[in-house]
Amino acid sequence: MKGSLNKTFILAKREFFVRIRSKGFWIGTLILPLFMAVLFAVPALIFSSSTSQLDLVMVDATGRVGEAVAARMAERRDDPGSRIAQFSIDVVAPAADRQRQRDELDERLLGEEIDAWVWLDRAGLENDRVEYRARSVSNTFSQDKLEDEISAAVREMRLTEAGYDPQEIRDLIGRVRLSTVRVSAEGSREEAGEAGFILAYGLFFLLYMVLLLWGQQVLQGVLEEKSSRVVEIVVSAARPFDLMLGKLLGIGAAALTQFSIWMVTLVVLTAPGLISSLASAPDLNLPSISAAQALFVVVFFLLGFFVYSSMYAAVGSAFNNLQEAQQLSFVPTAAIILPMFFLLPVINDSNGTLAVITSMVPFLSPILMPLRIAVLTPPLWQVLLSIVITAAFVLLMVWVCARIYRTGILMYGKKPTFKELIKWLSYS
Amino acid sequence: MTPRLELVDLRKSYGDFVAVDGISLAVPDGTVYGLLGPNGAGKTTTLRMIMDIIAPDTGQVLFDGRPRRRDDLEKIGYLPEERGLYRKMSVKDQLAFLGELRGLPRPVAKERAAAWLDRVDLADRSERKVEELSKGQQQKIQIAGTLIHEPEVVILDEPFSGLDPINQGLFKDLLSEYKGEGRTIVFSTHIMEQADKLCDHICLISKGRAVLVGELAAIKRREGGNAYRLTAEGDLGRCAEVEGVTEAVVDEEGGTARLFLADGVDAAAVLTRLVSFLAVRDFRNQEPELEEIFVKVVNDEG
Repeated sequence: MKGSLNKTFILAKREFFVRIRSKGFWIGTLILPLFMAVLFAVPALIFSSSTSQLDLVMVDATGRVGEAVAARMAERRDDPGSRIAQFSIDVVAPAADRQRQRDELDERLLGEEIDAWVWLDRAGLENDRVEYRARSVSNTFSQDKLEDEISAAVREMRLTEAGYDPQEIRDLIGRVRLSTVRVSAEGSREEAGEAGFILAYGLFFLLYMVLLLWGQQVLQGVLEEKSSRVVEIVVSAARPFDLMLGKLLGIGAAALTQFSIWMVTLVVLTAPGLISSLASAPDLNLPSISAAQALFVVVFFLLGFFVYSSMYAAVGSAFNNLQEAQQLSFVPTAAIILPMFFLLPVINDSNGTLAVITSMVPFLSPILMPLRIAVLTPPLWQVLLSIVITAAFVLLMVWVCARIYRTGILMYGKKPTFKELIKWLSYS
Repeated sequence: MTPRLELVDLRKSYGDFVAVDGISLAVPDGTVYGLLGPNGAGKTTTLRMIMDIIAPDTGQVLFDGRPRRRDDLEKIGYLPEERGLYRKMSVKDQLAFLGELRGLPRPVAKERAAAWLDRVDLADRSERKVEELSKGQQQKIQIAGTLIHEPEVVILDEPFSGLDPINQGLFKDLLSEYKGEGRTIVFSTHIMEQADKLCDHICLISKGRAVLVGELAAIKRREGGNAYRLTAEGDLGRCAEVEGVTEAVVDEEGGTARLFLADGVDAAAVLTRLVSFLAVRDFRNQEPELEEIFVKVVNDEG
């Protein structure tokens, strides 16, 4: 038995290093984190750059409105990313020579000392007009804000002059803000929660893709050994079971390396506050994955790898080349696709009966349990029970597939039917 | 003395087809043992059962007189008929891997790999992937991989098939060196000429059964002791009529004939009769070709 383990280790080591040393592995492994980083960082950078500052000179002939507007502006906090500039307001009194003052302000505009200036005087206000002069007048969001605040200040001034109490006025014309709630068929939830579901979907498809790709690696690895005829040399030193196990462990270790790098990236990138602090942007309230969640996801990824890949190994062993194997490789592929049918129900009601049951069923659990974990942390006992059930199933699958494998790898020539594969199970 | 390797009544069937039908043999240590027979006779199946690649239906493989264990396989070097290497692996990693797989500790496997690459003049290719080598170079790696753990017993299935002449020479030299060191070599072939030249002992297999087993020289004496080769001038056609000659195969142009004498006939008496009408230049006992023995034995079996 000791010798057998030793052989399995030597074989696993070969599979692992052959893959780890290939350029393709590292390109594939590093492209995704890069992509994720860009995905997370770019919006943050865009938000931070858009909160630009607008230097405004306010010539105030009324002696009241300018200060009031500046005060209101300072109080107001806009949502980050709303594309509204922060105003820096310089209130000045009108000079004796008004025309000269206007020309000077225009010159400062063109000299890019300031971004805009407005002229507030009684005459204009009576006609409900305020002149806004700037190099660019396309920043409508910022102009709206300015317009809002000047209107409010003027309103307040007029009401005060009509004899109302300023505090009373403020209470009466107080601003109302919208609190956004999205209503959809899946039920109502606050927008920030939605992002968590996007993350869960993303994780689901990532798991699905990665399990499929690494399963194909196993299929190809077995076929390559068979078609290059090296397999007989190997099984003259190691049992077919050792060979299959070594292959699964070695390729599994490479897959684990890749997947762990991705999960660590995900945990780091979604850590609350990290991106925003790097990009010096306000906190974006992005969904996040904790290290514990990631660890469980990795465990289920590994279990899934063994469930599906042992099937791929069995299929690969029975055929002479990839074309022939394609005919039967739909069986493990279908097993990977199967959880997709439960994606929506599980995401909608991730602690419902269907979700709890399907996340325990071996062919479904490797993908559905991580989904539940990403949406909402399920009770720990459910996670552990699912791990135990799936791990037991892995042992069964490896045993069954090994029986097909050891007959298959030395069979050349006519391709076997599905019935024959089943018959191989009974060979001693 | 207990022979290192012994087969006891091995049998293997695939459905109705009996591939190996009760083969027993003992391979004397330090000999070159040939497993001979046409394609499909059961040679490969027998060798695979020795290597525990296939489990026999009944019968046993004995190693040092006891049932063969898994770890005994590390003392055996095996070259299957269908061979290959990992195409994407570097030459030196490949050899080290094969060495490790056959029980060498990693550092030793690496050392041996380097030594073998020197030996087969491929040291400058050690970092190359196998698929980048020529076919002949790949064959050298394959041979080195078979012998890297310096096995006491070497089992080769049709070892010379597909080898280019240079590598055939290299391999034969290596095998005679191994034999000189007292190691045991078992190989299968369907080419009788090869076996004739290389083997000390043979086992002829036909339809899964061992039809002739033993020391080659003894077999030849036993099976073909009464064939003589005659070189002479004169009317060779009359040879067949000479008393004591059962059959004569005459080559008139070459002036030679092969005479088969009846059992118990004195060769000297026959020669005296031949001299009476021929100018005899040469008359000698001729060992039969293995090929002839094989055909004869298989025909006798019916």
